[in-house]
Amino acid sequence: MNTGTRWAVLGLVVVVAVVAFVIAQSGGGSSSKSTQAPATGTAVKSTTTQAAAPKVIVVRNAKAVGGVQDITVKKGDQVRFTVKSDSAQEIHVHGYDFHKNVPKNGSVSFSFPAKIDGGFVIELEGPGQQIAALKVQP
Amino acid sequence: MSARARRGAAAAALATAAPLALPAAASAHGLQGKTDLPLPTWLFSWAAAIVLIASFAALAALWPKPQLQEEHRRRIGRLPEWLDVPAGAIGIALFAVIVYAGFAGVQDEPTANLATVFVYVHFWVGMVIASVLLGNVFRSFNPWLSLARASGWVYARVRGRPWTPPLAYPAWLGCWPAVAGIIAFGWLELCYQDKTHPNIVAGLALAYAVVQLVGMTAYGAETWSRRGDAFGVYFELLSRLSVWEREDGVLYLRRPLSGAPQMPLMPGAVALLCAAIGTTSFDGFSNGSLWADSSPDLVDFFSNLGAGPQTETQWASTVGLAVAILVVSGFYRLGVRGMQTLGEGHTADELAGRFAHTLIPIAFAYAVAHYFSLLVFQGQAAGYLVSDPLGDGSNLFGTAKATIDLNVISSNTTWYVQVAALVTGHVCGLILAHDRAIALYRKSRDAVRSQYWMLVVMVGFTSLGLWLLSAVRT
Repeated sequence: MNTGTRWAVLGLVVVVAVVAFVIAQSGGGSSSKSTQAPATGTAVKSTTTQAAAPKVIVVRNAKAVGGVQDITVKKGDQVRFTVKSDSAQEIHVHGYDFHKNVPKNGSVSFSFPAKIDGGFVIELEGPGQQIAALKVQP
Repeated sequence: MSARARRGAAAAALATAAPLALPAAASAHGLQGKTDLPLPTWLFSWAAAIVLIASFAALAALWPKPQLQEEHRRRIGRLPEWLDVPAGAIGIALFAVIVYAGFAGVQDEPTANLATVFVYVHFWVGMVIASVLLGNVFRSFNPWLSLARASGWVYARVRGRPWTPPLAYPAWLGCWPAVAGIIAFGWLELCYQDKTHPNIVAGLALAYAVVQLVGMTAYGAETWSRRGDAFGVYFELLSRLSVWEREDGVLYLRRPLSGAPQMPLMPGAVALLCAAIGTTSFDGFSNGSLWADSSPDLVDFFSNLGAGPQTETQWASTVGLAVAILVVSGFYRLGVRGMQTLGEGHTADELAGRFAHTLIPIAFAYAVAHYFSLLVFQGQAAGYLVSDPLGDGSNLFGTAKATIDLNVISSNTTWYVQVAALVTGHVCGLILAHDRAIALYRKSRDAVRSQYWMLVVMVGFTSLGLWLLSAVRT
């Protein structure tokens, strides 16, 4: 590569760097807003659902109605959800390792502090069916 | 996670649902209590930007004369070959313990049995990292190689002459047996419905060892371990990224990245690395929402063919794994085709082989990005497993009550390690490709133009890696 091309490419690098910086700043800005704002809760959507009423997961035929449900909280917040089931099941929250039984046509509620960040599977222990994904943001 | 608590719970669940005693098999590795959170958007953007900047900077700023084609190494000291005897003994003993634990230990709770955790976490992931940090340590601890060497030594003592292998290893076969082994292991880990059954893991480990011993008897231990032994070949390739090299009982410190270009040209090398990248990609992909949305159709298809509820998922994953390996191989081939259009008389096969070593850092980066957290978290299981390898409640060293600390690193740390691995792998891949190109092409103009194609390949792999990390769903 001759000197001219070299400078041209280096110039291009600077342009890409500036553009990337601008994009990343705007992206980073908006995301830091969303991480700072919920000092009381978490991302807007889940704050409303968490604060207003605990999430209810309805289990029919050993599957979650509407597919695997997302529960997102910020580390340190309280995780609250209720499972209603038409069959007797054992609910297992991975990682935190909480087990609770839900009777046939009954419901069971969970409430625990989100002490560990990361993703955790919530499943029906018997059939091994995932019903929810708990996401604890750091 | 407390294995004890889980085992009790699993036993309770067993009473009601005996045939499906392994619910954990539904999640990624069947072993994890905690999964990675998707890469946040801001970090994804930053990483992608850095990748592009680094790529163009590399085009402009990298050296005009080859720097890595010859081995630059400094002698550090002796690390005599007899050390392989105790190391091999440790390897054989450990292998025996693993197989025994797999058969004799508890079967209903995979994380309570040393066999499953050791094979999938400490061996498969730990050895990848150890190979790069410490060099080709697997070669010294390799149980089947050690066994073959010991048998060879005994044979030579008894018969007064060394064992002569009855068959000559065919050159065209290259490392294809190892490719088959890596794909088979990937299938076992990601697709096979009974992957977490300790007795199956132990049985397959034993079968694998037998195949290796047959291969070593037929073709010679050294030849087979460098061509046919999937783990031997794979870890040897990765150890070429290490600065440490041991040869004839001497330890050397080599210039970073100068080991990879010394990789021998052998048929199957590209396939082996593409298989490694492809299996890791599929592991990430199968945790993503795209797979979650599309795989039910595939599962239904196999269900209609008459497959049972677990078998249908297994075959759907098999299709996914095959497609992932083919896509990765095809993408690399595309870059090679591009380079071929530049002429200078290089065939596509020749170029594919000459640039194969540039995929080693990509394969390593993918492995670290996807399995680092598994090693950090599930690796801690070693604490209780050394005292209770069978999961039967024994307490050999008093650590049976040790638990796994899921807060040992935060998700932020995991993200940074993942991104750092991919970006570093990308830069190393580019450097290796650049250095090979200027050595290979007569005209520097062709060398530069060939690198536009390799840039596309590397940016493609790194972007795919980043996307896989950002698309995971728990």
